[in-house]
Amino acid sequence: MKQGGAPSTGKWQGSATGGVTSPDAVVLPDPRARFAATAARLASLAPGNPMEDWLSFMARLALAQQQAVEAVWDILGATPATVDQAIDARMPPLAADGHRRDPAWRMALVRILYEIEAGPLPARARAVTAELRAAGPAAIEALAEHFLRGDVGIEEAGPALYVAAALQVYFTTLAAKLPAGKLRPLEQPGLCPCCGSTPSAGLVTATGKTPGIRYLHCSLCSTAWVHVRATCITCEDTRSVALEGIEGDTGLVKAETCNACHTYSKVIYQKQDMKADPYADDLASLGIDILVAEAGWSRHAPNPLLLVA
Amino acid sequence: MNVNRRGFIKLTAAGLAASGMGALGFGHVGEALASSVRAFKLAAAKETRNTCTYCSVACGILIYSMGDRAKNAHSNIIHIEGDPDHPVNRGTLCPKGSALLDIVHAPTRLTAPRYRAAGAGEFKEVSWDFALDRIARLMKDDRDKNFIAKNKEGVTVNRWTSVGMLAASASSSETAFLTWKVARSLGMVVFDNQARV
Repeated sequence: MKQGGAPSTGKWQGSATGGVTSPDAVVLPDPRARFAATAARLASLAPGNPMEDWLSFMARLALAQQQAVEAVWDILGATPATVDQAIDARMPPLAADGHRRDPAWRMALVRILYEIEAGPLPARARAVTAELRAAGPAAIEALAEHFLRGDVGIEEAGPALYVAAALQVYFTTLAAKLPAGKLRPLEQPGLCPCCGSTPSAGLVTATGKTPGIRYLHCSLCSTAWVHVRATCITCEDTRSVALEGIEGDTGLVKAETCNACHTYSKVIYQKQDMKADPYADDLASLGIDILVAEAGWSRHAPNPLLLVA
Repeated sequence: MNVNRRGFIKLTAAGLAASGMGALGFGHVGEALASSVRAFKLAAAKETRNTCTYCSVACGILIYSMGDRAKNAHSNIIHIEGDPDHPVNRGTLCPKGSALLDIVHAPTRLTAPRYRAAGAGEFKEVSWDFALDRIARLMKDDRDKNFIAKNKEGVTVNRWTSVGMLAASASSSETAFLTWKVARSLGMVVFDNQARV
């Protein structure tokens, strides 16, 4: 406006904050794409990786998980009343260890086994699928219970992988049906607001309406939630956290180490690779885990598809 | 031995062989991975929150420095960006804020107090003791000369209007409180606690 001129009478158009907005606190998963994205990323990361055989197998497992989504697609989730009650009490509405599973989740397991057996498998992996097929519902439910409550015997580690994969499909499908607007972070911000599980890894976004925000991605139900960067996800310490990365690499994956609780969690920078997937890139970057473990830090929690003592 | 999806773990080649990886016939993978990382080593970077030094908007910034501060290593600031978690700027920075790294490393940046004596043409570096003594002396002299204890009507006002003070924009509440107390207790009224743009 010139001096002495009249102010514009037009209505203001556009965003008053110029696009500077707060991030969505919780982002629910999209079960129609979640596992296919992981499968595609794993398949592209496998060639040339020292873990090529295993990553290719995990890519096939993720693809099988995607196909298993339709087996549990029609399961009704938690009722609105129980969801509201849990959120009011600041409890996860799909609490992994308290939720009463619909027995239909085993359909996802059947489908995953079917898809996996259709392709080439190491002899031991084939024996494990046969063993799971032969197991009765009670044995499978017991194994699921062991997995969710965190008490899997090391001799069960093979079958637990397929059970974990099927439970991921089941919980992801249910989480997608929760009311996103009502969900609130838990008092322990490092745990999933939907199911109370630990995250697989953090992904620092580079696109969307709030680039640069770290989302933690749930290892069980695939929900993403905001966690402030440069803050330990286990003990909330800010003073002693540092980023450890492999010297000279692209900086796609780093370990956020904390000297207050001596743990670390992985951070994946989408800026370095727009195709990064928090689940696939976690599995493909186990080299960092080995180096950081040797330097003395413990990982905040294992990836459920790689239970390690 | 049991495994737990929620416990702290340390990944090792032996641990991977005993995990689900080994149970499914991929036991060799852990060994291959462990030998492939032998050639690499870790490099630490520190991420530190701070407030932009420039203006009263007080944007949050993240400062990245190389080297682990705990190990007596020389830290070097390598990158500065807007803090995406900060409610004021959500990761954005103005052009001045975006250039903060160059301020940090500017060769012309002041690292010690400098003094130009009246009539002299050049600044010369002096000690903090000299600078603080000199500032205190000049403030005292000026205050003794110009302090207004009472106004024309005889009401006590305790004003010192001939010297002003400009304090920082990136102060914490505590710093701002102390700055205010120091300035006001001297009777200083020309005082701003923000370096405006």
